[in-house]
Amino acid sequence: MKVIIAQIINGIALGSIYVLLVTGFNLMFLVGKIIHFAYPYIVVISMYACWGLLKLTNNPLIAVFGTIISSILLHIMVEPLFRHINTRKGPIDINSSFIVSLGIALILTEIMSHQLNYGFPIAFPLNWMSSSIFLEINLIRISTGQLYTLLVSILIALALFILIYQTQLGRAFRAIAENISKARLQGIPILRLNLLLYGIAGLLGGIIALLFSMLIGSASPWLGEYIALKVLAVAIVAGLGNMKGGLICGLVLGIVESLIIHFLPGSWSNALAFLMMLFVILIRPRGIFNKNSIES
Amino acid sequence: MAPNREKIILKIENMTVRYGPIFALKKVNLKIAQGEIVVLIGSNGAGKSTLLKSIIGLEKPTEGHIIYQEKEISLWGPDHITRFGIFLIPEDGGIFRTLTVEENLQLGAYHFFSQYQERIEVVIKLFPVLKERLKQVAGTLSGGEQRVLAFGKALMSNSRILMLDEPSIGLSPKYIVQIFETIQALNQRGYTILLAEQNVIQASKYANRIYVLENGQIVLNGNASDLRNHPRIKEAYFGS
Ligand SMILES: Nc1ncnc2c1ncn2[C@@H]1O[C@H](COP(=O)(O)OP(=O)(O)OP(=O)(O)O)[C@@H](O)[C@H]1O
Ligand SMILES: [Mg+2]
Repeated sequence: MKVIIAQIINGIALGSIYVLLVTGFNLMFLVGKIIHFAYPYIVVISMYACWGLLKLTNNPLIAVFGTIISSILLHIMVEPLFRHINTRKGPIDINSSFIVSLGIALILTEIMSHQLNYGFPIAFPLNWMSSSIFLEINLIRISTGQLYTLLVSILIALALFILIYQTQLGRAFRAIAENISKARLQGIPILRLNLLLYGIAGLLGGIIALLFSMLIGSASPWLGEYIALKVLAVAIVAGLGNMKGGLICGLVLGIVESLIIHFLPGSWSNALAFLMMLFVILIRPRGIFNKNSIES
Repeated sequence: MAPNREKIILKIENMTVRYGPIFALKKVNLKIAQGEIVVLIGSNGAGKSTLLKSIIGLEKPTEGHIIYQEKEISLWGPDHITRFGIFLIPEDGGIFRTLTVEENLQLGAYHFFSQYQERIEVVIKLFPVLKERLKQVAGTLSGGEQRVLAFGKALMSNSRILMLDEPSIGLSPKYIVQIFETIQALNQRGYTILLAEQNVIQASKYANRIYVLENGQIVLNGNASDLRNHPRIKEAYFGS
């Protein structure tokens, strides 16, 4: 029993990372009108930035700010590519945005597997990992890294939901999400808000990179693909663009994975998680939380 | 408010708009004086919506000028133009169906959010139905209520010229009269109105002047009282 509780705690920490990733992904889908498959890849390369900065300066403060800034810069750099697709005359082409994002993902993977650390996985210094024990009751341990992850995730998710549902900027984002031509007609400055959106996604990505590096303490060129597939799956299972659904499904995936890892050989966790998703998609093709009708 | 014929607020000169090879508008000229109600009439596909869309900046003319209060605006985008006082209520009302009534009104005041409180009071006084429905999701309003919200949203902005694309479409005769009376009331409050309509009989009762569009060209224009009896209009629209 205690082991199960311990695994659930691990799962919640991991799940909250998924939640943040899916939230960023959904935001780009709804407001940016793109399927940003490369979003988790940019998070991973920001983890590399963090690792490099720690190695160079040994200063956690520089690492924190450097990671966030590099993530924001990377997002702003790719924005013109997507803008080019989405401002062409005619309907927005979400499929070609997916191809462009896939291309970005491949390029980032190549960079990580050839240029960075000779392609070897990177390991963060032990003190960065905050694996020190915050609380221990018998076998149940909560590390400070897990605690940070949880607290910061809750704060960030809360801040994002307030931004989206309570502020004028959020209303404008939702208006764009509903109908971009109506939003344009209304006088909402689409291009400026789009740039802002990429900035926000970059900020979020930087924070995720920091949390993830503290939580798992390592990264590799293949990590991007590993989590990107899950993020895509969670987003689709919850219902593409469904923020609240993504929150719940992300947490559930984290917990389920941690439990599976405990009871079965680790390599099974992916297969089982995807099997469950396949099952859900068969029953509810438009996701658990989206209305299963043509109207959208 | 009596129109001030001396003061031209919007002027379109020789404007051509194309969709690829299709000429939707050909060398259109149009003038609107401050305080007027001007009606654009024309059958389906004549180019009415295109004309309104190019004024608001959604379509870019390939030729010609749009001059608003002495400024050339034909290259501006809609965000710029709405901020400087022109607003278009499109055929579908342009309301955001997934947002609440209140959120729609807040977005209406997008560029003037600091004045939100004053404006909302004016709008609610004009359209009291909106008051009880502020928290309702706009998509669940009745068709008529959605029209009212579209008006409310437009008035939240700082517009002087209100353009409406076929506001009477799909409404019962009684409601159509109400819509036109609302338009007239807004005109009396100082709004200059440019209206695209197929409902010539109603529109011509309220209009100061009329422009007739056919195949992207202005074929006729003049005072509403004169044009109503013009043989060409009688034949085409009154069926006599
Ligand atoms: N996006 C577009 N692409 C290509 N052609 C277009 C486009 N929009 C309008 N057109 C064409 O331009 C012409 C004018 O269309 P417009 O919508 O301005 O007409 P309208 O007078 O508003 O008609 P209606 O009364 O039916 O609304 C039509 O022939 C139409 O097919
Ligand atoms: Mg039209």
